[in-house]
Amino acid sequence: MMIWQRMSRIPITLRVPALVVLLMIAVSVVTSERVVTRLIDTQERHLRSLAAAYLDGLSSSLLPHVLRGDIWEVFDVLDRARDRYDALHPLLTVVGDADDLVLAASDPRSAPSRKPLPDEFAGLTPGDMAIAADSGRALVRRTLTYQGRTIGSITAKLDISHLLAERRDVTATLILSNALLTLILAGAGYLLVRRMVRPVRILSDHLREGSAGEVRPIPRSRFPSQGNDFRQLFESYNSLVEAETERRSLAMHMAEEERLAALGRLASGMAHEINNPLGGLFNALDTLKQHGDTPSARTTAISIVERGLVGIRDVVRAALATYRPGLTTRPLAPGDLEDLALLIRPEVRRKRLDFHWTNTVGGAFAVPGAPVRQLVLNVLINACNAAGETGRIEAAAWVEAGNLMIEVGDSGPGMPAEAREQLVGSPGAGTGGGLGLWIVRRHIDGLGGRIEIERSDLGGALVRMIIPAQREGLSDAA
Amino acid sequence: MLERGRKKPPRRQAWRPSRRDVLAGAASLALSGRARAVAAPPLRFGLTPVFLNNDLELRDHLGAYLRKATGRPVDLVTRRTYQEITALLISGQLDAAWICGYPFVKFADQLRLVSVPLWRGRPLYQSYLIVGAGRPVTEARALRNEVHAFSDPDSNSGFLVTSALLAEWGETPASFFRESFFTYGHRNVIRAVGSGLADSGSVDGYVWEVVREVEPELAAQTKVVRRSEWLGFPPIAAPLRGMTPERLTVLRQTFADMAADPTGREVLRLLRLDGFTEGSPALFASILAKVETLERQG
Repeated sequence: MMIWQRMSRIPITLRVPALVVLLMIAVSVVTSERVVTRLIDTQERHLRSLAAAYLDGLSSSLLPHVLRGDIWEVFDVLDRARDRYDALHPLLTVVGDADDLVLAASDPRSAPSRKPLPDEFAGLTPGDMAIAADSGRALVRRTLTYQGRTIGSITAKLDISHLLAERRDVTATLILSNALLTLILAGAGYLLVRRMVRPVRILSDHLREGSAGEVRPIPRSRFPSQGNDFRQLFESYNSLVEAETERRSLAMHMAEEERLAALGRLASGMAHEINNPLGGLFNALDTLKQHGDTPSARTTAISIVERGLVGIRDVVRAALATYRPGLTTRPLAPGDLEDLALLIRPEVRRKRLDFHWTNTVGGAFAVPGAPVRQLVLNVLINACNAAGETGRIEAAAWVEAGNLMIEVGDSGPGMPAEAREQLVGSPGAGTGGGLGLWIVRRHIDGLGGRIEIERSDLGGALVRMIIPAQREGLSDAA
Repeated sequence: MLERGRKKPPRRQAWRPSRRDVLAGAASLALSGRARAVAAPPLRFGLTPVFLNNDLELRDHLGAYLRKATGRPVDLVTRRTYQEITALLISGQLDAAWICGYPFVKFADQLRLVSVPLWRGRPLYQSYLIVGAGRPVTEARALRNEVHAFSDPDSNSGFLVTSALLAEWGETPASFFRESFFTYGHRNVIRAVGSGLADSGSVDGYVWEVVREVEPELAAQTKVVRRSEWLGFPPIAAPLRGMTPERLTVLRQTFADMAADPTGREVLRLLRLDGFTEGSPALFASILAKVETLERQG
């Protein structure tokens, strides 16, 4: 089970050739064993029949000489037989008499006449063959009988090393050819499987890239050939990618539109903000024209003009600071948060809201200024919408444990579940909160912060933004 | 037996036939070509296994030469033992045979010396006692209690010489050697000793020398520890019974002329012999002496 689990972890391109190798080894072992066993059987049968022919031939020639105990003739027969039975490779042939004393041997020095048979021949059963594979020798024995009596014996020691060498050769050839075949099949298996799983790999590569962020369609050039099962899969994948790309681009488009709409609202607010003091300014100008000679009237009129222009200047500055591009890396300055109150003022006035703003952040704080302003502005606009006519909004900003904390509470009916899900749920979850909240979520994620939503004392929702200070990557340029 | 041999007509008379004899012989030779076709009985010539009895080439050439020289068909008769050839010769079933000096001496009263081969210029040879080449033996007495190979019980060099030597020491082959056997061939004695089947052997010195020349690897397995005195070379003999001077003349001339004939020379070359001489029964006196030594021993 463990092995199988380990095996399943190996890539399929290696697993299949490995299985081929295992299978081939098993087949090779079985076939080789059968071949070698058959070879051994055949060799032994052949050897036995050759030995039997040898002993038969010798027996008939030797019988009369053994009967007479004629040493010379027995030797002469053995000596002449030596060359005739070359295929058998007899090393030593010994003829013994009835008392198992050597009559003569093909090599008399190894087995002298009238001496007992050599020890290696002792205990050998007549008619049987003893094979000593390690020494490459075989022993055979035949009893010589005449008129029913045993008159002697022939024992032969045969050299079977050439048979053993043949066995070794056959075994080596089997191993070599099987190994070669196994190697070829394993290689072919590897290439074949590699080719078969290539579409899967292409697909999985694209899926991995997609999960990392960038979803790309598979180029047509990498599609499998017509008729391949994977072609349909590739087509489906590309359709999926296309749909996702479209969805994203639509979302971006809508976000842009929302941004422009918000901008339009702000612009109209701004125009209103600028327009408000204009009436006073024109009145002041009339006063100056008519009563410019009167010092008190002049002073009052100039003061009105100054305050009006200051208000216009502030509004213009705040808008510039918020929407001038290229300022995303600037650290948050104290004025940035104050500007927000200014920017939201038209909306507050329009809805006659009761807006309270408390800012205790002293000095600059190490977070990018522009995204924070965008973030808080959107939350404030959302709160304005939620609070309804003559509602109340309380906002506060402070620093706590190295984090910038901003709270916005309203007197609205509370935050719907979809909007809540969009702000604090898993990324991508919830779409019912509108694009304003979608932008909020994008900014808070980009700043590495988080949002907490509670019930506000005012009755509506309390949105708490916790933005950690950033250690580096911010320029000090204001 | 030799006495009886000596009583035979003087050799000179036999070897120097009269002119009439020669003419008659020549006439018989000349006519033989035609006569053979009619009724010429074959010349039956016996060969003891003195030498390479398996040398078919030698037999072919010898047969061819004898046919040409005598003008008669030739039957070359070979047997395994000296005894068989001697018996055939004495009983008149052979016209002539190449036998050993020992049977010649033994049956001198029934045999007629025809011719004696010349080896190295002399009608003499020796008997050798041989042992395995690697053995440190240097003299014959060291062979006691060993296995000994004899050639043939009727061989001078292959049995008689050694037996006589042992008799001089008061021994017999059975008492001196642990085991002895006959190989019925001088070359076989060399094989037996060379292979180790026998520790030592009694062999014809001429055969051993020729084997050393033609089969050096076989002779090299043995070495000579004793050479006998020079003895009469195994002769060509014919049965005394029914032998006419004419026939004897023809036979002697046949062997005497061998060296002059191309086929004959081929026979001599194969046998490493120089030729044939009429020889004299006296050549075999020393062999007779050995026979008598054995007879005295009983």
